Amino acid sequence: MHIAVCIKQVPDVAAVRIDRERMTVVREGIQNIINPLDYAALSIALRLRSRHGALLTAITMGPLQSEEALREALAAGADRGILLTDHCFAGADTLATSHVLARAISKLDPRPMMIFCGNNTIDSDTGHVGPQIAEELGIPQLCGISEVEIENDSSVVARRIQDGYVETLRISLPALFTVKKSNDPRSLPSLGALEDAFSGKTIIRWGREDLSLSVGEVGLEGSATRVWRLRQSPERRKGEILTGQAQTLVKELLCRLEAMSIIDEEKSHG
Amino acid sequence: MKQVVIRRTVRSDAESILAPLTAEMERTAKFPREWASFAAAKHYFGLEIPRVWGGAGLDAVSACIVIEEVSRVSPAMGLCLSVHNSVAAQPVYLYGNDAQREKFLAPMVKGDTIGTFCLTEPNAGSDASALETTAVREGDNYILNGTKIFVTNGGVSGVNLIFTMSSSDAGRRYYSLFIVESRHPGLDKGPPEELMGMRGNPVCSLSLHDCRVSCENRLGGEDEGMRIAIATLHGGRIGIGAQAVGIAQGCLDASLVYSRERVQFGKKISEQGAVQGKLSDMATRIEAARLLVYRAAFLKQKGAEYGKESAMAKLFASETAVDAARAGVQIHGGYGYTKAYAIERFYRDAKVCEIYEGTSEVQRMVIARALLK
Repeated sequence: MHIAVCIKQVPDVAAVRIDRERMTVVREGIQNIINPLDYAALSIALRLRSRHGALLTAITMGPLQSEEALREALAAGADRGILLTDHCFAGADTLATSHVLARAISKLDPRPMMIFCGNNTIDSDTGHVGPQIAEELGIPQLCGISEVEIENDSSVVARRIQDGYVETLRISLPALFTVKKSNDPRSLPSLGALEDAFSGKTIIRWGREDLSLSVGEVGLEGSATRVWRLRQSPERRKGEILTGQAQTLVKELLCRLEAMSIIDEEKSHG
Repeated sequence: MKQVVIRRTVRSDAESILAPLTAEMERTAKFPREWASFAAAKHYFGLEIPRVWGGAGLDAVSACIVIEEVSRVSPAMGLCLSVHNSVAAQPVYLYGNDAQREKFLAPMVKGDTIGTFCLTEPNAGSDASALETTAVREGDNYILNGTKIFVTNGGVSGVNLIFTMSSSDAGRRYYSLFIVESRHPGLDKGPPEELMGMRGNPVCSLSLHDCRVSCENRLGGEDEGMRIAIATLHGGRIGIGAQAVGIAQGCLDASLVYSRERVQFGKKISEQGAVQGKLSDMATRIEAARLLVYRAAFLKQKGAEYGKESAMAKLFASETAVDAARAGVQIHGGYGYTKAYAIERFYRDAKVCEIYEGTSEVQRMVIARALLK
């Protein structure tokens, strides 16, 4: 069986800037990681492969630096990595992204029977890409799953938590799954696996022409949506959790309460 | 690209697996076997050993990054890795024949046996050539006698590289190195030393009483020990330099967290100039130390001369670690003097970086010799 996992390299946590003119996220100079739910999808695919044996292809669309995410996927155990990169792909919305990914997946040989995506990304958080790929490929999809078991070559059972219930669903293959949670413990690759992935292995690169796509179908031109305006939402009241040793905490709390004139300085030390 | 991912991976593993064990290590001084098994599976015990021999096959700079990140969380385990990799596994790989690699290196790389490098003796510290341990040849065997002290990893080692005097001629002394397994008859270990820091790394003495080993245990040629030891120590200094950078970074990171939390005179101490000055100096020196260490490692992996550069890196990085720990304790104030904060442990751990693998005074001697030759 051939399993494909779509991954995206995303900027790590809060160090993100917004380009207010182009209304896009600025990724330069920020550490990039594999989107955590994409890594969860990869973990599920890796476990299926170790149980049932399969060819596992990791695939991403992005600039050249996204190769790093594919090499990390190779280090984790993927068999090959495909980078969909072309300057025309820049500025793509979820529709244009799904279009390129779907075209690349349909080009894979043998045809993948299972396609995994993270449910959503930590940078744009739409949750559109997986379902749109499935629609474009004309295959069934299960979104928000946490577990998958292969029954036979043509069907699998998946579980997802929906409104407090655990749903168990059977689906025929080929199918696409988006992963919301993985019960597989995330295990980081060994140094040797990283060395092999970064030094020895080749990443396959496909551009627009390799996928027989026109300029109008991809990137900003192929996007159905435009970000019109971007503004920061007003800050909400938030709690703060202090951590550390009890004695320091008490002192710090007293200091803060004093600073806010909630308690009286002399009395609090009395 | 690779090194960024290696740093992130090792840091994540160190924070999730090793950090929770440090308090227990500090309390009991016990070597954390569970971490060692984990580290072995991740190839930490064969950092620069090629993949065909079961190692990680890393370049020297990447190996520094691993030691640095482990030391940032646990200097004692950073030390374990530095010594095992730089001055035990590496010389067995570089100077050993295939039979020795098969017998000794393979289990070292798997983490089944941890290695030591035994040079220091009661009367031979900075003056290593004054050593008294002897190797007397008897046919195809050697009889080893003597005492080695301050053996890092000693309490848990399975294999030991032992530096001996093998002959002398008209006042000139010649040295040979031997690989001796800990279970070998005639080799005994002393109890673990009670040390100021680096708790969890069992340092002990090792004595040899008519310890009979075969020629197959000799690493390199007879009387070639000094050449191998000097080359090994050049590499070892890079490892200790990386360890010191990791300790200094750990001090800075702990101080950044604390100074953002601690409020005095109505504002966070991180907003106060005196503390900012300390943090800035720490960060600047750490960057400089890191670059010196990486430069020495880069020269090593290129096959260029790097003796002077590794001495500079070790000297500057270890003094940086001690400075960073002292400044870190000062930033923490009274709390920094309690065992409730990691900075207290870092202060005790850091000091030995200026002593082992050649004291700061010896590093200055090595640098001066290179300058004046």
